Amino acid sequence: MTLLDFARGPAIHWSLIIMVTGIIWRLLGVLVLTRGADLSRPRDAFGNFKGYRTVFSRAWPSGEFRTTTRYQTAMAYGFHLATLVVVIGIVPHIEFITSLTGASWPGLPNAFGVGAGIMALASLLALVARRVSKPGVYCSNWGDYFSWLVMAAPLVTGLMAFAHLGLRYETMLAIHILSAALLFAWFPFGKLMHAFWFIFSRAQSGVVYAHKGVRI
Amino acid sequence: MTTERTLGGFLRHRGVSRRAFLKFCSAMASMMALPASSVTALAEALEQARRPSVIWLSFQECTGCTEALTRSNAPSIEGLIFDFISLDYHHTLQAASGAAAEAAREEAMHENDGQYLLLVDGSIPSVKAYSTIAGISNLDMLKEGAAGAAAIIAIGTCAAYGGLPKADPNPTGAMSVEEIVKDRPIVNIPGCPPLPLAITGLIAHYLAMGVMPELDRLGRPLAFYGENIHDRCYRRPFYDRGLFAETFDDEGARRGWCLYKLGCKAPETYNACAQIKWNQGTSFPIQSGHGCIGCSEPNFWDKGGIYDSVAMGQFGSGPKIAVAASLGAVAGAGAAVLARGKKHKTETELDSDD
Amino acid sequence: MSSIAAPKRIFPTFDQVFQGFASQIGMLREMAPPPSLPESVRVRKAVATLIAETNADEAVWLESCIRCGQCTNACHYFQATGDTKYAPLRKMNLYRRVYQRELGPLRWWYRLVTSPVKLSDLEALQELVYDSCSECGRCTMVCPMGIDIASLVHHQRSALVAAELVPPELEALRMEQKHRGTVFGASAEVVRQLVDTIREQAGIEIPLDRDRAEVMVLSSAVDLMGNGQGLLATAKVMNHLGVDWTICSDGFESANFGLLSGDMALWRKQVGPIVAAAERIGAKTLVIAECGHAYPALRWNPMLKGGELPFEMMYMSEYLGRQAKAGRLRLTPIEGRLTYHDPCKTGRRGGAFEEPRALLEAMHADLVEMPANREFNWCCGGGAGIFLLERATRLRDESFRIKMQQVDATGAGTVVVSCASCRLNFEAGRQKNHWDKRVESLVELVADHLVDEPRTGSVMPIRGEAA
Repeated sequence: MTLLDFARGPAIHWSLIIMVTGIIWRLLGVLVLTRGADLSRPRDAFGNFKGYRTVFSRAWPSGEFRTTTRYQTAMAYGFHLATLVVVIGIVPHIEFITSLTGASWPGLPNAFGVGAGIMALASLLALVARRVSKPGVYCSNWGDYFSWLVMAAPLVTGLMAFAHLGLRYETMLAIHILSAALLFAWFPFGKLMHAFWFIFSRAQSGVVYAHKGVRI
Repeated sequence: MTTERTLGGFLRHRGVSRRAFLKFCSAMASMMALPASSVTALAEALEQARRPSVIWLSFQECTGCTEALTRSNAPSIEGLIFDFISLDYHHTLQAASGAAAEAAREEAMHENDGQYLLLVDGSIPSVKAYSTIAGISNLDMLKEGAAGAAAIIAIGTCAAYGGLPKADPNPTGAMSVEEIVKDRPIVNIPGCPPLPLAITGLIAHYLAMGVMPELDRLGRPLAFYGENIHDRCYRRPFYDRGLFAETFDDEGARRGWCLYKLGCKAPETYNACAQIKWNQGTSFPIQSGHGCIGCSEPNFWDKGGIYDSVAMGQFGSGPKIAVAASLGAVAGAGAAVLARGKKHKTETELDSDD
Repeated sequence: MSSIAAPKRIFPTFDQVFQGFASQIGMLREMAPPPSLPESVRVRKAVATLIAETNADEAVWLESCIRCGQCTNACHYFQATGDTKYAPLRKMNLYRRVYQRELGPLRWWYRLVTSPVKLSDLEALQELVYDSCSECGRCTMVCPMGIDIASLVHHQRSALVAAELVPPELEALRMEQKHRGTVFGASAEVVRQLVDTIREQAGIEIPLDRDRAEVMVLSSAVDLMGNGQGLLATAKVMNHLGVDWTICSDGFESANFGLLSGDMALWRKQVGPIVAAAERIGAKTLVIAECGHAYPALRWNPMLKGGELPFEMMYMSEYLGRQAKAGRLRLTPIEGRLTYHDPCKTGRRGGAFEEPRALLEAMHADLVEMPANREFNWCCGGGAGIFLLERATRLRDESFRIKMQQVDATGAGTVVVSCASCRLNFEAGRQKNHWDKRVESLVELVADHLVDEPRTGSVMPIRGEAA
């Protein structure tokens, strides 16, 4: 079995199994916990439902904080959008998703994929540079750096495989797939889970504040 | 067979002009990445090369490799070089049969002990009874032939890596040459079949230099297997622009777009098909509209479907992931229910403390 | 100024009140009892408290933090001091560790890789959850995950109550309220005396302990023990409205040191008599005195079935704002530019934004909002009991500079607050910085701007929703 066969076969297979198991485990392990009841009378009868808007409204900083969070907002948006383009725009990735789910859609020309990959990597570097330069503000733990590495690795190896840099193409491809497998396997355990938590966290706070008639 | 003793004499005898010969030599030099200044030296060495004794053993094979080499519609220098060698044993091509044929093999082995080239096509069953020639099992015949060989050339993917006979579940226990012979220089010329030029080019190199060329980690001459077909493919610009044939009869297929999505294995296949092509440079599989199946790579037959693209995961995902999801649900909900119990117990304890 | 200038002053001015309180607070530290339980029990009870108070909401918030550091932009203590230990995201770390080890879905793993909480960890936590967090909730406004850090801080205050690690000033008051039911000695007897004083010296009637009343009004220890002017102003305004109101001597205290210290049992216990009194007299409305945290302690008390109570709870500014909107307050115009400071507990964490503004508008005030206002208002730095902590003086002083800049940016000469705690903190900042602003209480401002005071003790109750 070559490295590529291992990567495409058991490695990605088991990492997906770990990811699915882990995500559901962690989500349910939290969401099935007891629900605290706020028995106080809401400011207006159906006001609490307005709290759910926070899930969407918090996607953008409010005017008050636009200046102070500008760098982070720009870099975080740059990273997330570019990564999204890379993940769902490049034909090999679409093919991979097709093999998993059966769904398929047209891909982008390679130049866009490379551009988005470089953008994602650059913004990721910009984010970690800030994290490293202000350790006191960010209060980072090893998991933050590990998550960063695990996220950066598929981007670096993917670009290298595409550009035929470093090792032979199929070895780079195998390393790229292995790095993606590591990302999948790590996903449920670190802060990457914010991909799910943000919905619940924002909704909860939105509802807590809407209960008192406050829009956050 | 010819009686000329040198390759130069033989080619002149067959009407090949010096100009055509030098052209072949410079093509060979460039294929083998030799400097331009070495073309004359190569030509001289080739002209002076003497006929080597060659024994060709065919085991679990389909004769496709031999066909590819011999079925040229016009005689080529490659073909003629093949003619030049003293092919002392090749049970498909030779006139002799039965005991006479085996006698010829033994005689050649004896006379050219330590000098002859051993060419092998087909894989070798580790279960001896599955394939025998004249009552001798393939395994024994290979070991016997290899013992006195100067070098071995494993022709075709079956000899090089086991090929189709080795495909899962490998009922004959097929093995490649290099899995059996460990103490002789072996060069693999994989492909199903391999490019004829790769075979004759290797022989020419051996004739001219007296040694085998530089090999990659899979024992293949870098001169022919150093580059990825995808990188050399004339359809590559369509890949870069994101233009793909989705089916074999759609507009993209008619317009010659990239076959990546139709399972073309070119990105992970190393061979010279895209440059040298087949049938005197007429075409190659991708040009004919079908994706590369990666036939020069080990175990190509077992690497998922021919029409599954390179990026696809090679596993049956659905049921196992569904099982995994249910396991996660049970574990997660279980952890939460236990935590709820712990919380209630703690609350009771705190209340009783106060 | 008002058309009816205060005739004679029977109570000290607020800066005198502030001086008096400052000396009282100094004594509190000596009154705090030392820890009584063994270390291991204190740690165990702290952890147990966090376990008991953790629901899915808290768990999700603890899980959600990605340490993006943006909350540091919102926190006045961090911004004022630049000291990284005050970063809001750090204030949940201990809670997260306990949660991950005790309740989290991967707790079996975290028990192997994290160390258990020690008493020294809890001691270090004290500064983070008491001194440097006023639970103002401003960080929630910037957090991309919308984590309600303030509520997580509050749970940790509960844990420190269990660990006997409440700062001495808060602990002394918690003990006083728990065992004697008073704050700064403000007993029912004190209420009666003050009511008498106001009747005798200012000629204003305060209906005390009536059997039935439409509106029940609360007072607070600050008014009872120092700033009698506050209760006097409340009485003037209530009498002006002519509503059927009363103060109950068995349920008058707005201040709740259960909530401030994190003692949930005391919080609940303290609310009981107030609710019982309001139900007994058949009140339709309970008006909470200008004491910021009393609003969440009563109106937003999650343990109190608000929907089933026969009365509505309102903050003073909220009640007066509604009366003003309904045109029941006849007010003289107010002169000079002013700005309004939303107390965190009634503003961002209470939702009473519009009523105080409506009230100021009814006085035709030249109201200029601070650059950051309403939901984004900067805390004055003294909330959630921090005003009482001597150790937090530097944090308060430095963070108050942000507030001063905000007020200065409006060009207003007066800043109106509607919370005794904010007002004390503004007064402290004003005096320390020789700041040329006036700090006014909303209810006292209204009392000073009433048109033709009606006779006391009106017998014409206003019925209806606003009453």
